[in-house]
Amino acid sequence: MKKKVALILVLLMILAAVTACGSKDTPAQQPDASGQMDVLYYAYNSIPVLNWDPSIEFSNGIIVMNNIYEQLLRFNAATKEYEKVLATDYSKSEDGLVWTFKLREGVKFHDGTPFNAEAVKYSIERTREIGQGAAFIWDAVEEIKILDDYTVEFVLSYPAPLDIIASCPYAAFMMSPSLEDQPDDWFEQGNANGTGPYKLQQTTMGDEVILTRNEDYWGGWGDKYFEKVIIKKVTETSSRRQMIETGEADITTELPAEDIEALKSSGNVVVEVVPSFTNLMAFFNTQKAPLNDVRVRKALSYAMPYDDVVEHAMGGYAKQSIGAIPEGMWGHSKDLYQYKHDLDKAKELLNEAGIKEGELKLLLTYMSGDEAEKKMAELYKAELSKIGVELEIRAMPWESQWDMAMGTDPSSQQDIFVMYWWNDLATPYSYLYSLFHTEDSTLFNLSYYKNPEYDALIDGAHENSAVDIEEAERGFIAAQEILLEDAPAIFIYDKNTVWIKSPSLKGHVDNPSYPYVVFFNKLYRE
Amino acid sequence: MKKYIFKRILLGLLVLAGVVTITFFLTRVLPSNPAAQWVGPRATPEQIAAAIKTLGLDKPLIVQYKTYVLNLLKGDLGVSLRSKQPVLTELKTYVPPTLELVLISTVFAVIIGIPLGLYSAKKKDKLLDHFCRFFSVGAVSLPTFWVALFLQLIFYRWLQLLPLGGQLDAKLKLMYEVPKITGMLTFDTLITGNMTLFVDALKHIILPGITISLYPIGLVARMTRSALLEILGEDYIKAAKSYGLKDNLILWKYALKNSLGTTATVLALSVGYTLVDTFLVEAIFNWPGVGNYISTAVMSMDYPAIIGVTLLSASSYVILNLIADIIIAVDPRVRT
Repeated sequence: MKKKVALILVLLMILAAVTACGSKDTPAQQPDASGQMDVLYYAYNSIPVLNWDPSIEFSNGIIVMNNIYEQLLRFNAATKEYEKVLATDYSKSEDGLVWTFKLREGVKFHDGTPFNAEAVKYSIERTREIGQGAAFIWDAVEEIKILDDYTVEFVLSYPAPLDIIASCPYAAFMMSPSLEDQPDDWFEQGNANGTGPYKLQQTTMGDEVILTRNEDYWGGWGDKYFEKVIIKKVTETSSRRQMIETGEADITTELPAEDIEALKSSGNVVVEVVPSFTNLMAFFNTQKAPLNDVRVRKALSYAMPYDDVVEHAMGGYAKQSIGAIPEGMWGHSKDLYQYKHDLDKAKELLNEAGIKEGELKLLLTYMSGDEAEKKMAELYKAELSKIGVELEIRAMPWESQWDMAMGTDPSSQQDIFVMYWWNDLATPYSYLYSLFHTEDSTLFNLSYYKNPEYDALIDGAHENSAVDIEEAERGFIAAQEILLEDAPAIFIYDKNTVWIKSPSLKGHVDNPSYPYVVFFNKLYRE
Repeated sequence: MKKYIFKRILLGLLVLAGVVTITFFLTRVLPSNPAAQWVGPRATPEQIAAAIKTLGLDKPLIVQYKTYVLNLLKGDLGVSLRSKQPVLTELKTYVPPTLELVLISTVFAVIIGIPLGLYSAKKKDKLLDHFCRFFSVGAVSLPTFWVALFLQLIFYRWLQLLPLGGQLDAKLKLMYEVPKITGMLTFDTLITGNMTLFVDALKHIILPGITISLYPIGLVARMTRSALLEILGEDYIKAAKSYGLKDNLILWKYALKNSLGTTATVLALSVGYTLVDTFLVEAIFNWPGVGNYISTAVMSMDYPAIIGVTLLSASSYVILNLIADIIIAVDPRVRT
């Protein structure tokens, strides 16, 4: 018997020894334990890269790719100006049909291939040829002419703002023509070759990405910047919170409001709240009675408890929308009409439309798993029940929700479709066209809204944005006035991005045009 | 004996065929849009139309099923809609880390569960027995996600002894070449002799390992105890006692041996259970295994991946059941 007790004790001691001997060097908690190598750690809430092909990726991947690849220009949402990246200068013809870009000289891709006019032509043509993801942004381009090694001329088939297009966070990356020599599945194997400040060192099935400094970066490096960057998928919010609290991660985002409050009061981390270009909308099925009656749609817009939604669904990290364009994006206007929570008005409008209490039953769909959308829907349901409208809330996987909306029979479709939208191109057209322009077959116009006057207005404004931005902006604002009058959707709130950062991390500036992207080469530790 | 095993294998194959059929149709009748999934977000109608053709979704479901089964027989599990990688290749990456957790939990179940059951039976209704019984009931009934979060809180947040999740420290990966032999990191690092990596991998597996092994430990302890108690009442034990053999000898040599059949059966089945249980634990510990893979697949209705993992789980259940049956059949008292 004694022997066995001794045996168990020995086993326990071995276990303890393993734990203890490990604790002597815990590099996980001490970034400097490994010598001078200082690593930046971005704990990301989802898979960092879905598709390694920069021509195709139209999702999370931009958080990695904007550090490996570069565009010709970068849009600075704060100053509303274009930063020159791979282009040093550009000019356009009077009619906005011919654009000439001067390219930066002496830039090399990570494999040593020089960046030049040929690379620009190759990249854009490749993206267009593949035709996936955001390839549509280049739609207006008819021909790309190489004038000399460092000058490219774009001939367009209709006026389009090529500066906005060239700075797009998606599908506007410059790739090396040496890509042609690589096997077909080169990207699928997790490879990259850009001109950006960081090179891809390794990646594990897209769950974890490690970047290493591109020492030959044309922009140069100071001493203080990070040599390595880790971007890791950490889906659990409690894990992300703990990692930032212990200092294992340097920067993260997308934490629940309760966690943000707790972190704020702890004082161990920096919490930065910035506006984003993401807004939440609820689209009415305008093809289905009685939602085809504008009075009903207006009544339902007045029934939304905007302030409560911002307060309780988003913990205050949002702002009620004014119009369809989020604050901070050009084309947003504070003078547009804003629906306020007003049940009396809602009731009155419903009466006018001849809808009696208890008569209206509506189905709302939202993407399952999204807590904020769920809370919003529940708050909305409570308000609607006060004016005798019954709301059924259905959580669906995105694909199923979308599939249902794309059906052809309005009676089998949802009445209210809840969805977030964010920009691809930094233009109001990205919202106003995709969401409300007449469509032959449904894609993202989930209100099934058809208004020729509106279509003409935004198409005209889009062409204007190639030549006269102010005129374009007036057009986009006028188009939103039509939307607010027709009420095809409820513009609920503009979301905030909340960054949680380690206090030692400096140099981080959010750019809402590039959602969740951290430009790692600007960051350093102090 | 041969006929018995043959019959069992045949039955197992039948079960697998059923599983493939049901999962295929189940994942396909659910409202979803595989073509849209294939093309990615914000697709154009032309892209979706092209994808429908590529994926063969324009053909009747029964034809698609036939194609799928024929490919399956050739060992082709199809291509993931999300990552566009062959499901088999992906499984090869994601299975070893899960297997590593399952193996660890099985080892724990044997070296902790059996002695626990043994002492419990020996000291029936004494303090030690009560403690063991309390522990094993607790181990079986505590929700795994709770245990996982609790362990993280203690060992990561408060004591800062063990890492929060993952398989290896990301910063160590930058400094050392991580060996890729079996994909089970603790094993790979050990046989390549990289002690720094081995210790780190070991530290990473402790918390998920403990969490996942609680259920099998409790189960094995309970089963060993009850099997032993029954056996200790048998005549041959009385005979052995009357011969004056030592208690420990009787217990370890004569009684335990006979109880192992039951324990092995339970163990084999609990491995199957653990395989599924890891899914939740992997999510919490950010373990790059099958659980992580299937949860992403389910969220995005990636049906080739869903069927792939379901088939994998079903096959392991069938195989483990087969093993359990064979173990029992080897026992001459069962074999007739």
